[in-house]
Amino acid sequence: MSKPIFKIVDELPTGGLTVSALRSLDFVIPGQWNNLVGFDNTIRTVTGETDEALVQQIGERAITLFNDKSEGYQRALWLYETVDSASGLLGTAALMNRVGQDTFLGFLKHLTPKPERAQSIDLSVKLVTEIVAFCQINGIPGDSIGDFLAALKDYSGESLMRMAALVSFDGLIPLGASFTDKALSLVKGMSPSELGGNQTFKGVKDLIPGQNDAGKLNFITESFEATKRWMDGFVSSKGLTQSNVADNLSKFIDFSEDKLDYLGALLDVSVKYYRHTGVQTLTRRLVERAVAEI
Amino acid sequence: MISTRWLRVLVPIALGLVLFVTACAPKSSSRYADIQTETTRRNAPAAVTKAAESGGTFNKFFPGSTGTYEVVPAQEKKGFAEYKLNKDGKTVAMLAINDTAGLPTAAAKFKSSTETIAGYPSVEQGTTATGILINDRYQVKVLSRDPAFTRDDRVDWLQKFDLRGLAKLESAESVVVAPANRKAKSGKPTPANSPEASPIPGLPPILSPQPAT
Repeated sequence: MSKPIFKIVDELPTGGLTVSALRSLDFVIPGQWNNLVGFDNTIRTVTGETDEALVQQIGERAITLFNDKSEGYQRALWLYETVDSASGLLGTAALMNRVGQDTFLGFLKHLTPKPERAQSIDLSVKLVTEIVAFCQINGIPGDSIGDFLAALKDYSGESLMRMAALVSFDGLIPLGASFTDKALSLVKGMSPSELGGNQTFKGVKDLIPGQNDAGKLNFITESFEATKRWMDGFVSSKGLTQSNVADNLSKFIDFSEDKLDYLGALLDVSVKYYRHTGVQTLTRRLVERAVAEI
Repeated sequence: MISTRWLRVLVPIALGLVLFVTACAPKSSSRYADIQTETTRRNAPAAVTKAAESGGTFNKFFPGSTGTYEVVPAQEKKGFAEYKLNKDGKTVAMLAINDTAGLPTAAAKFKSSTETIAGYPSVEQGTTATGILINDRYQVKVLSRDPAFTRDDRVDWLQKFDLRGLAKLESAESVVVAPANRKAKSGKPTPANSPEASPIPGLPPILSPQPAT
């Protein structure tokens, strides 16, 4: 058995690079994300209840639900963890390539050796991961893009922050202003075997709908097409640009001393934000269900 | 000399105290250690009984959006469905229906209920939740997520559900719930009751105090 859910939530960091990077996006969705950590603290904050016996009861039900594999929460956690660590590998390779070069901004712009192809897959796979994890958590059939799109309009808190980070850190920064067009055309022109060889895709492919790599590529393309308008709308309504995201990031992450420091910082960003906010999302859902059921 | 003598006396006492304290301290055990063990052991009972109604069944009983309030789907799992109640883009409450088959403690709290809403037994749970029980089985709850959404609002919204429609679903008595694999927790008194003592499977036998306002 992996780590208990209450420990995972208790151990979510309150500081560090992932949290700093996410905080840097507060200007995008002001006040929406307050880094809720700690299992009991989440119960109290989400429900507004402070009675210890009631908190215990809610916690026990939430743990029971999480520990039943058929309920889907463990799969969602696995997805959030895996897509982060798999895409992290891409980041590592990219960073090794960039050590000793460029300014910080230059470094950001050239995060990967083959930025557009690799980052496009990364972005697309992360987006699909969000759809599949959303369905696992909320009990919707895994290929229901329509339900996801409807819910996306109502995304808030940590879920909205995860999408903001996806758009900013995996879209705008590596691919630039027209990242959705670039990524979509690259994904459309991609062969199933190229997708099959991608590290991020390999990590989570088992849970992506589709019989084979071709079917999965189809689902990824469909998902991207369906979500593109939302992403474009998000970028324009928030006035997001590559440089304002990078500028805000630089306020929160001190990378002036030594290049290796900011390399590490960026690596951490690329590795943890999906997991961090993913755990927060699924805990909130668990708690909401538990308090309603008991 | 005096200090040495004192030390001779103090050291064993201090040592004894340290050993005593560390031996008695729970080995960093969490308040959730028991439930974690219980729900991860081999053949642990399912979190939701097979007999539970599918969550999708409940959708049609939820109230629709009205006026400035928007009712937005949130979760739909076996035995459970939940909607957000949004006002001006902000979630002010959660609306939920769940099947208490296999969750006897959830239904048990209504046994001591002295109040009714729309003719169904009701309870206040904590400070933010009001629930009613339909047919001894289906729990309908409204949970405030904004301080401005008061108990009166909860009562009001509970009555907007299609409660009569929900009451036409099967009752607990007519369903064979198999809690055979659900054992009462040994040793630890829970706010629950003992499922074994229930004359009817799935029905809570003993009242127990629930946190309430």
